[in-house]
Amino acid sequence: MNGSPAPQPLVLAEGLTRRFAARGLWRPFSTGPRAVQAVTGFDLSLARGEAVGLVGESGSGKSTVGRLLLGLLPPSEGRVLFEGTDLKGLDGAALRALRRRMQIVFQDPYSSLDPRRPVGAQIADGLSIHRLATAREAPARVAELLRQVGLDADHAKRFPYQFSGGQRQRIGIARALATGPDFLVADEPVSALDVSVQAQVLALLADLRTRLGLAMLFISHDLTAVRHLCDRVVVLYLGRVMEEGPTAEVFASPRHPYTAALLSAVPSLDPAHRRDRIVLSGELPSPADPPSGCVFRTRCPHAIEACAAAIPAPRPVGPGAGPGADPGTRSHRAACIRDEIIQVG
Amino acid sequence: MTRLSLARLWVAGAGVAAIVLAAVLAPLLGLPDPVRMDVAHRFAGASLAHALGQDGYGRDVLSRLLWGGRVSLFVAASSAAIAFGIGTTLGVLGGFLRGVTELLTVRAMDVVLCFPPLLLAMLVVTLLGPGAGTLILVLAVLYVPGFARVAYAGVLSVRAQDFVEAMRALGARRPRIMLRTILPNIAGPLLVQFSLVAASAVVLESGLSFLGLGVVPPTPSWGLMIADARASMAQAPLLLLWPCLALTLTILTLNGLCDALRDAIDPHPIPRRRRRLHEALVPGLLPAARPTGAELELRGLTIEIDTPAGPIRPVRDVSLRLESGETLAIVGESGSGKSLTGLALLGLLPPAARVASGTAWLRDAPLLHQDEATLRRLRGAAIAMIFQDPMSSLNPVQPVGRQIAEAIEAHHRLSARAADRRAIRLLERVGIPDPVRRATAFPHELSGGMRQRVMIAMAIANDPPVMIADEPTTALDVTIQAQVLALLADLKREAGLALIFITHSLPVVAEIADRVAVMYAGEVVETGPVEAVFSAPLHPYTAALLASAPTEGGVPPQGIPGVVPPPHALPPGCRFAPRCTRRIDACDAAPPPLVEAMAGRATRCPRWAEP
Repeated sequence: MNGSPAPQPLVLAEGLTRRFAARGLWRPFSTGPRAVQAVTGFDLSLARGEAVGLVGESGSGKSTVGRLLLGLLPPSEGRVLFEGTDLKGLDGAALRALRRRMQIVFQDPYSSLDPRRPVGAQIADGLSIHRLATAREAPARVAELLRQVGLDADHAKRFPYQFSGGQRQRIGIARALATGPDFLVADEPVSALDVSVQAQVLALLADLRTRLGLAMLFISHDLTAVRHLCDRVVVLYLGRVMEEGPTAEVFASPRHPYTAALLSAVPSLDPAHRRDRIVLSGELPSPADPPSGCVFRTRCPHAIEACAAAIPAPRPVGPGAGPGADPGTRSHRAACIRDEIIQVG
Repeated sequence: MTRLSLARLWVAGAGVAAIVLAAVLAPLLGLPDPVRMDVAHRFAGASLAHALGQDGYGRDVLSRLLWGGRVSLFVAASSAAIAFGIGTTLGVLGGFLRGVTELLTVRAMDVVLCFPPLLLAMLVVTLLGPGAGTLILVLAVLYVPGFARVAYAGVLSVRAQDFVEAMRALGARRPRIMLRTILPNIAGPLLVQFSLVAASAVVLESGLSFLGLGVVPPTPSWGLMIADARASMAQAPLLLLWPCLALTLTILTLNGLCDALRDAIDPHPIPRRRRRLHEALVPGLLPAARPTGAELELRGLTIEIDTPAGPIRPVRDVSLRLESGETLAIVGESGSGKSLTGLALLGLLPPAARVASGTAWLRDAPLLHQDEATLRRLRGAAIAMIFQDPMSSLNPVQPVGRQIAEAIEAHHRLSARAADRRAIRLLERVGIPDPVRRATAFPHELSGGMRQRVMIAMAIANDPPVMIADEPTTALDVTIQAQVLALLADLKREAGLALIFITHSLPVVAEIADRVAVMYAGEVVETGPVEAVFSAPLHPYTAALLASAPTEGGVPPQGIPGVVPPPHALPPGCRFAPRCTRRIDACDAAPPPLVEAMAGRATRCPRWAEP
């Protein structure tokens, strides 16, 4: 590092690994599949007000990453620092207090709201848990939050079933914003919505992000949703980071064959896009039995023998990759030994 | 909650209240002392002083019945309440905290279930001596596992929901989550369990008292009364009747309350399908006009659904035409009626919905208003359908190869082995690697993409000329979606399959379809060749949908403000007018008709020609 030290990141993840045991309390002698490693060696540094897109197919471990960063799930290895504080070292009360500052928006607008309680009461939960407002102040604050997400203040008394999917998602966002968080994990917040509503909710998130200075981890299986909202994008495959970099750069010149295939698989209104489609063969391998070496090699159109030998480490690519370039966290990196092929092809 | 189930709840509740009230008020009714003997008048019949007569010791039967009810109901209610409290606590704790707590609570309860109830009762009575208190204890112990199990099962399904995770993310303490989030969501089944247990406790109390393990004589209880009456059955058979009647009536009312509670909490009435008389008498004879050579033609389809507030029409006057080898996309948001239209074509509408008007032909076979047998012959052989969620469309307990083979056997006479061989060839055709082994796999052993391929193999098993695909790729990842779309394009090219592709994704339409019909709020608002419609839409809704689709370029997608109007609250004029940027006053006057704007293109917007 040259000159002044880099500002402390809001969220810093180092070498996050999470295994899910295949055997439980009731099957101590099970000889079934080994433990599933959902996430392996995940690093992330998220500055205040920064939005990072986390993209991958189902089973890639992206939701697990979101929950690890929020401390809702303890990592098997590695650590998460929130403003320099290790989440693992916190006792229950301190972690609960910290939850005020990090929140989550869920994918399914139907299961994310309690069907038995009016939505206003659910938005007010965060206020009462953290004593941010007295019972008398709460309704005014709830009304303000509802207006902030584009709903009417008098919607507070209604029950979730009286709202459409898009409106429910707005309520979920209002609940997350109630405690005034600095960090928001949005776990596929628009995947379950109609396309016309998707655009509305994405615009709302973008607006809130700039207005409230939220740092955001936007989890999505859809690259196009990430494009206009995120500064950086991280591509996950079978629990490992394949590529990460500034959104515009990754979209314009992906350097990992998986990113290139993902981008080309997105259906498009533009006929030109369809001509050079890369249709990947096969499907995501089982995370319980990942391929040796590069985990993507079994589906990779560019795989060679060397790909099976060792797990490729992410290395700098793109314009800032030359010798002497700033090795800062913002650089474009890809975990592929043949990334120069992708650049040409 | 429907009005009917609410009324039933009131009736059943009033019945239970009357019984409880009679028992509670027994001391105030001025009845004779239930334990005062009058041996001179043993077995005396009904008289003015003794409305139901006197028993073997000359005690007043009516008085004993009501006082006995006090004891029976008190024992039943308090044991049920104690079991409810303890069982629910154990179940919620075990289900929410899991781990060792689960072992100590729910599994420990399973041990109690292993004791025969009678043995347990005898054991406790021997230890504590008989009496109402002992009885309550025994019954409570017997019923705790039931409550614990119900609560535990409820917690397991509720705790997996995102709103519980949301409470954790908000930093709520565990007791708060258990009390305020989980408990209200499992209250329904617990209440039902309570009324069931209360009813069964009344019976068990009588049974145990009858055996001398419960209430001690001379305290009246229904079980003791039955025991006494049994001894003198020959002399006074009526004595047996009264306690039995009281018991039966109480159980029936409690069960009635239980049913009403369940219906009120879980309002999923099964609607009856109304079939119009002419449909039953002359199926298929009504359509007069003849088809015009298209592979599939639909004219003026209107679908009606009966709701408590009157019939609604989620699909109105939809006409479509599918030429052979062509792919027609039906595109629209949720609530546009696109899926109902597809289901109606195959006669697969849900029971509540019916075709109110319209005609359809598959080549020259009429489709709507057909009886089930005719439709069954057509389905699979002449027209096939694939759905969004292949998991719920496949039989979970049968290997997929056999399921495909059965689809073939439904329309062809051939041996099971020949059908199995063809199934394997079909699996190979849809690009499933190692088809011989996969044919023996069960649906849950396959990934979502594989299952969708199996569905497609099943759909093409009998080479139908027409296939309807309802959002077949919506649940799939983009890379798998690309594979499935490529497969469908292959089938189109090789087998000349005509395809109706229902989707909400315009880019997918652009990829796969030749023509498109855009639906909004139950109506077709625009039709035409895909390229022409997408490059120059003639309806503002199509334009707005295109603007909301994710793009390649730098322009962020634009949402459409507002929501699709529900079928019971349609705007008076153009259905899209409230969300339309080009709306003028004339738009609100009357719903505009679908007009042919230019060759092969139609729109519902009267302003299409204006710049």
